[in-house]
Amino acid sequence: MKIVIIGNSVACVNAIEAIREKDKISQVVVVSDEQSRAYSHPLLPNLVVGDISRSDERFYYRSRNFYEKNKVTTVLGKKVVGISSQNRYVKLENDEKIPYDKLIITAGGKPFIPKMEGTELEGVHTLTNIKAADRLKKDLKNIKKCVVVGGGLIGSKIAEKLAKHGVKVTLVELMKRVLFPVLDDTGAEYIHKELKSLGVKLILGDSVVKLDGDKRVKKAVLSSGKSIDTDAVIVSVGVKPNLEFTSESGIETNKGIIVNDYMQTNIDTIYAAGDVTEAYDIVISQKRPIPILPLAARQGRIAGLNIEGENVKYSGGFPTNSITIGKVSFISMGIVDTDKLETLKIKKDGEYRKFIIDDNKLIGMILVGNIEKAGMFNWMIQNRFDVSWLKDTFLNSDFGWQYFSKAFRILRFDRKIK
Amino acid sequence: MKIVKIYEDSCVYCHLCEVACIVEHSQSKDIIKAFKRETKPIARCSAEFNYPLSYSVMCRHCDDAPCIEACQTGAMHRDERGYVVVNEDKCVGCWMCIMACPYGVIKKDERREVWGLSTKCDLCPDRETPACVEACPNNALMFEEV
Repeated sequence: MKIVIIGNSVACVNAIEAIREKDKISQVVVVSDEQSRAYSHPLLPNLVVGDISRSDERFYYRSRNFYEKNKVTTVLGKKVVGISSQNRYVKLENDEKIPYDKLIITAGGKPFIPKMEGTELEGVHTLTNIKAADRLKKDLKNIKKCVVVGGGLIGSKIAEKLAKHGVKVTLVELMKRVLFPVLDDTGAEYIHKELKSLGVKLILGDSVVKLDGDKRVKKAVLSSGKSIDTDAVIVSVGVKPNLEFTSESGIETNKGIIVNDYMQTNIDTIYAAGDVTEAYDIVISQKRPIPILPLAARQGRIAGLNIEGENVKYSGGFPTNSITIGKVSFISMGIVDTDKLETLKIKKDGEYRKFIIDDNKLIGMILVGNIEKAGMFNWMIQNRFDVSWLKDTFLNSDFGWQYFSKAFRILRFDRKIK
Repeated sequence: MKIVKIYEDSCVYCHLCEVACIVEHSQSKDIIKAFKRETKPIARCSAEFNYPLSYSVMCRHCDDAPCIEACQTGAMHRDERGYVVVNEDKCVGCWMCIMACPYGVIKKDERREVWGLSTKCDLCPDRETPACVEACPNNALMFEEV
């Protein structure tokens, strides 16, 4: 069997590992438009400011010999432009065709660029892959002032990093707070404070509509009419699935590639995993792209196992986030802000805890400060655990196994319940 | 596979498991040096208490470990013995393993200069019986098959 994988990041690597657990014989080919071996996307802001370099092993997701060890042929620096699902081949930019028996699409996401004038100017950057990070890093010597558009995970992180690096940063966020979908007002306030103390200027509830300059960007004009002088602009309003090559393939897409519970597309021989897909979100009970690393790993593994005939079901996922800005670490997951459902919250010294409960099932939470037990809540959301008898203890700073019933605790400790 | 099994009825909340763990993971493996002269390691097990209940809990070394799945650099991995361990040179302290750990047994060590370090039970690779099991005075921790 010849398995071709498009894309070379987390979902791809986990698919390869799953395939090789079961099958040492099939040929595996990875095609990617990037030159690098798989690397850690969350470390791109660190790469830009020089916290980490491309010669540091920390930056990479797997060791240099990963592909060789797993007998994988890599076709790097080549862009896929089309898929013929009838004749089973992948077409590259240079018209080369790579035939496959089974195909896994793990092409990831690409930056979403909102409608604004002037994005073609010099000094306008994105930050979703190594090429963009290198470009921004190279440009850093020209940047004393910078506008970051979008206060999501990438935007907040690069704002923090650049500010620490001595750049005068203005962060413009359309919503009333940064990290809008992953924090509530109280949680975001901690991050606002950290960013401000680093010298980041926050402009909330406003958006950039136009970038001005001759050759290089000089000014960002906001919808409120304000204008900000700047040497550079980083657009980080989000990512969307990279569907550039699927249009004539017959693969069903919506916002992302639609997959069933086995990570299989509407075409039997083609699977998809990671940020490019639209898989089931168990918290909102519908399919949607959730571009986060742990789910890319899980989906990649499941796609790999199912290609090997294992019949493993994806039980669904939900957003989970862990980030540190300045001195504040937080972890949040699921639905974090609603006034329609049962909400438990408490803010005390250096700590914020919030839980959203729907029909006695935990469906979301935020922990700021004291985060070490966060994964226990992750388990409860994933397993639709009945929390009616336990939820009263969620707000305790020392929340832990002591609050569970003895029988359940022992079964879990002995790994009798997964 | 053998892991540290927890017998809560036998636990007297003496914290000797934590002491033994700290010594075992110290530079010198000497109790006085570990506690008073060197950088004191963080105990990988936690004695928890809610009278009359007490127990010590540490990594269960899951078969399909969610912490490995969530790790952004491959620092969290399965070693040749099959146990889940952290490669300290790879860990960047993003705490995504903490976000994923269904047992809540991974701890934050924020004392390194640049990168934080996820700290968890490594089932004492240099020993036949884990230090906490050996130190437990009442068989509340046993090294057994699950």
